[in-house]
Amino acid sequence: MQNLRLLSALLKINVQMALAYRVDTAVNILLELLGLGWELISLSIIFSNTQTLGGWNLGELITLLGVFHLVNALMNILIWPNTEKFNASVRDGTLDYTLLQPTDSMFLVTFSRMVIWRVWDLVLGAVLIGVGIQMSGRETSITQMLSFSLLSVTGTVILYSLWIVMIAATFWFTKFDNNVTLLQALLDTGRYPATVYPFWLRMIVTFLIPIAVATTIPLQALRGELSAGQIVLFLGISALSFLVASRIWKAGVKKYSGASS
Amino acid sequence: MLKIYSRFWQVNWAEQWQYRANLFMYLFYWLVSPIVYLSVWVAIANSQGSVKGLTANDFITYYLTMLVVEQFTSEITIHIFAYKVQDGTLSGELLRPLHPILTGALINNIAFKALQMLAFLPIWLLLNLLFRPDYSSVTIGSILLAVPGMLIGFWLSFLFGAMITSMAFWTTRVYSISQFFYLVTILLSGQFVPLQLMPETIQTVAGYLPFQMFRYVPIETILNRMPLNTVLQNYAISIVWLIIFHFLFRWIWREGLKRFSAVGA
Repeated sequence: MQNLRLLSALLKINVQMALAYRVDTAVNILLELLGLGWELISLSIIFSNTQTLGGWNLGELITLLGVFHLVNALMNILIWPNTEKFNASVRDGTLDYTLLQPTDSMFLVTFSRMVIWRVWDLVLGAVLIGVGIQMSGRETSITQMLSFSLLSVTGTVILYSLWIVMIAATFWFTKFDNNVTLLQALLDTGRYPATVYPFWLRMIVTFLIPIAVATTIPLQALRGELSAGQIVLFLGISALSFLVASRIWKAGVKKYSGASS
Repeated sequence: MLKIYSRFWQVNWAEQWQYRANLFMYLFYWLVSPIVYLSVWVAIANSQGSVKGLTANDFITYYLTMLVVEQFTSEITIHIFAYKVQDGTLSGELLRPLHPILTGALINNIAFKALQMLAFLPIWLLLNLLFRPDYSSVTIGSILLAVPGMLIGFWLSFLFGAMITSMAFWTTRVYSISQFFYLVTILLSGQFVPLQLMPETIQTVAGYLPFQMFRYVPIETILNRMPLNTVLQNYAISIVWLIIFHFLFRWIWREGLKRFSAVGA
């Protein structure tokens, strides 16, 4: 309850920040539309030369693009801006003030900056998913839809947990404050099914920096390629990774000694 | 003049050397999308034998060669210069009897690339071990023929980048403009896909534009896949563009300087 009130206050601040730069927001949305145009052109170039990509048709790749937009939106709204803020606050010691607040520090670090206009990317992602499913021409059952939505959420939780571990690592290794770049760099692999990548890259994006867990795997659930056992396994992994991440965060905060003091 | 350039080199090399720890991160960032495109096209080529006559090996050699060509033809001017217009530090450079872009920014570009090359080579060799390309079509002659192409390609992309960076004199949203042109060049330079896989009309248009010199023409020249007279014809077109870009940049720069109000000075 307290967290909800806090969230709405933070939202208000961030909406005000976005409104201060109205023209920028308009330009950014325009650029985003151009980016979408580019993505669709690139898909149409690929599919003018082939019928399927790794067994997936155009509709399924558009659905994947939609899921990618959802994940990307989360990154752009919360993860990248808060990484920047977090790293700066460790360097100049202002993190002390965050830790002194009488609320969960992991929550504050996650939500203190929000790039609000990117919310539009969520809408775009949803539209792409809808259009893609229509275009794929496959019969999709309710259970497949449900497991698709469920696995999109669990995949995102896994990526979020990884991020918490990455920024918490800064408490021990101050020099490695750019490790989130790894996540940023590999994110683009989420635009295409991980099954087309060579073995070593597939291993990296599935186990090391698991972008595919939030993009390819939900799509596989939609295509009915996953068993019930696998879906339960992913649920377990995501709950576990969240628990481990919050433990590591707490240990990191204990280790932190503050740059200002 | 030579002495000036060599001084600039010493300063900029030392400046870039400070950031060597970030180098692998940048490199990593920049490597991912070519490898993604490579994988996508190799998967398609493998599933249907070939794509418009290009086999899986053709795609692997194309993108791996692209990484090398990109080392020579890429530029970072907007990142090292646009902020100087915005925060006014350009004022100090304007006092010198030297062109800020054609000396400092140019040498800084080259220093960045030289340093990057040190980290790039081992990674490139590793990628070659992973993908096992067959470079049997490459000859010493084809590499030598591509050298002037890469030089023209670098000079074109440097001037193009300099023109976009000069937009900072008019607008603070220069990064958005650059983003837009970045998307255009990815398609028209052959970075996303070898141009012969593009729709006919786009291919024809791209053939008359300078962007194909950034990637496509040097790559295809090295790989010996472009007939000699096509190569020479493309070089001729690009020299015309070089002259156009040169005058266009001079003009934009002059007009921009008139508007420069030296914020913070």
